[in-house]
Amino acid sequence: MAHQYIELLFLLKKGTKLRIADFVHGADGLGNQNFSPPKGKAIEQSAAAFMVEQAKLYPGKVTVVALGPLTNLALAVELDPAFVKNIGQIVLLGGAFSVNGNVNPAAEANIFGDPEAADIVFTCGADVVAVGINVTHQVVMTDADREKLAQSKGKFAQYLSKILEVYFAYHREAYSMRGVYLHDPAALLVAVNPSLFTYTEGVVRVQTSGITRGLTILYNKQKRFAEVTEWSDKPTVKVAVTVDAPSIVKLLMDRLMD
Amino acid sequence: MTNLNCAGGILDAQSSSLPPSKLIIDTDPGIDDSMAILMAFQTPQLEILGLTTIFGNVTTEDATRNALLLCEIAGCPGVPVAEGSSEPLKGGTPRVADFVHGSDGLGNITLPPPKSKKCNKSASEFLVEKVSEYPGEVSVLALGPLTNLALAIKRDSSFASKVKNIVILGGAFFALGNVNPAAEANKLNSFNLQIYGDPEAADVVFTSGANIVVVGINITTQVKMTDADLLELAESKGKHAQLLSDMCTFYRDWHVKSDGVYGIFLHDPVSFVAVVRPDLFTYKTGVVRVETHGISVGHTLMDQGLKRWNGSNPWTGYSPVSVAWTVNVDQVLGYIKKLLMKP
Repeated sequence: MAHQYIELLFLLKKGTKLRIADFVHGADGLGNQNFSPPKGKAIEQSAAAFMVEQAKLYPGKVTVVALGPLTNLALAVELDPAFVKNIGQIVLLGGAFSVNGNVNPAAEANIFGDPEAADIVFTCGADVVAVGINVTHQVVMTDADREKLAQSKGKFAQYLSKILEVYFAYHREAYSMRGVYLHDPAALLVAVNPSLFTYTEGVVRVQTSGITRGLTILYNKQKRFAEVTEWSDKPTVKVAVTVDAPSIVKLLMDRLMD
Repeated sequence: MTNLNCAGGILDAQSSSLPPSKLIIDTDPGIDDSMAILMAFQTPQLEILGLTTIFGNVTTEDATRNALLLCEIAGCPGVPVAEGSSEPLKGGTPRVADFVHGSDGLGNITLPPPKSKKCNKSASEFLVEKVSEYPGEVSVLALGPLTNLALAIKRDSSFASKVKNIVILGGAFFALGNVNPAAEANKLNSFNLQIYGDPEAADVVFTSGANIVVVGINITTQVKMTDADLLELAESKGKHAQLLSDMCTFYRDWHVKSDGVYGIFLHDPVSFVAVVRPDLFTYKTGVVRVETHGISVGHTLMDQGLKRWNGSNPWTGYSPVSVAWTVNVDQVLGYIKKLLMKP
């Protein structure tokens, strides 16, 4: 049920990440299921050039859902000064707003993956919506949900319930929970149905050095500071603050079991 | 040894079976510091061993003058005042908050200079000496940047284990700072002010292994004296009510400008209450580190312990501290008002 005027570009995480989360997603990133290699090939264009091109082709109509570190988007911002005007919206999964991170107490994984890029994207002036783990940690798929999925005849249900095993095991180990956080599905649904969330607006900056490298700090302008700060005169972004978690889990289950 | 102060302390100590608790206040007075200090002198179950001074609301030199004045005003001119460092650990001229507390730090009220003199020891020497003299008995209430405490920890490796506890006003835990969005004033470097006043020192103290309670501005900004409360104070028979009302005028006007608050936040008095009435707060424990680099310099970050980390990180291996998590606002405000209005 994509909006007519929204095209979703799913960012394939290309290239080398310095920190690879194989302990979360399995060695192949897909739960160690030994799938055969894809038949298709990646297009010649780089991710950044592709985004720039598509945004120029459909000015104001393209939404980017960014589910990994923001390197490609930062490169697009730097490649074409018109990109921030041309792009419709950037929905990004990243940050930990007023909660601990998930890589370490300070940083969330996607921001930690490229803090410099994240700071560029947050302050570029595009229409940005950030969905952090303060919100996605409220959206949980339980063991029971997964069982329902496994029993269903959904097109992707069997595939997903298989690859989820590693992810469930990781959550049991790291968080002592019987379920998994639905980070990426939740972020995606911002592009599909933004009314499932509420938002605040403010300037977000990313710490790029020191022990809190990757920390995201939102300044929502409630307080007037005595002097110019690193947050002054920067464009604002929207940051998700609450989520209708039951609706999201239901939406996801319905869609996957369909 | 009794620099026993005053204000009915001896009297009440007689009527109580418990000896008074020993307290050193490390402070940069400061209007709300002054309130906390005068409250301490009005508290019978406390024996104030001394005040140590630090930059922050004012320069260290002015903090020493104001601390001496406050001891005299409290009727305890014999209480030692040990002057602390004039700059943060890594050096540089500290910025002071004269726009908050007035150029004299006391709301630009005109007071005569103190008659008494500062003691001949530095703040960190004084802290180490007293804590060694009474191991396990001395509490420190730290109301300014933590330079003196960091120096005491560096001076004596047994300081952290000998001090009874350190109650720190500082930090902004999972909330916006009051200097910039990342940092709270008690911990900044030369540019800004408290954790921002000396983030390196704050990180040394938080990771020292001492028994530490931190009261951040996420707690202290919940406790306000409104204009009505201030009027009640002014009209009370409190021993220092008139003086405090005069001081608070400047401070209150800054709150209106900065926060749109018609009244004042009680940062230091609330932290003082955490020393004498810890039961009016709840706490979470976790390792706290302070960022010393980049745009979020001075940011206090606590590991809440909700996740088992994959490998080690900068929070791994340090002793947890207690971070005030909730506050009984009505009772804390009531306690503060009662002490401030005590004849």
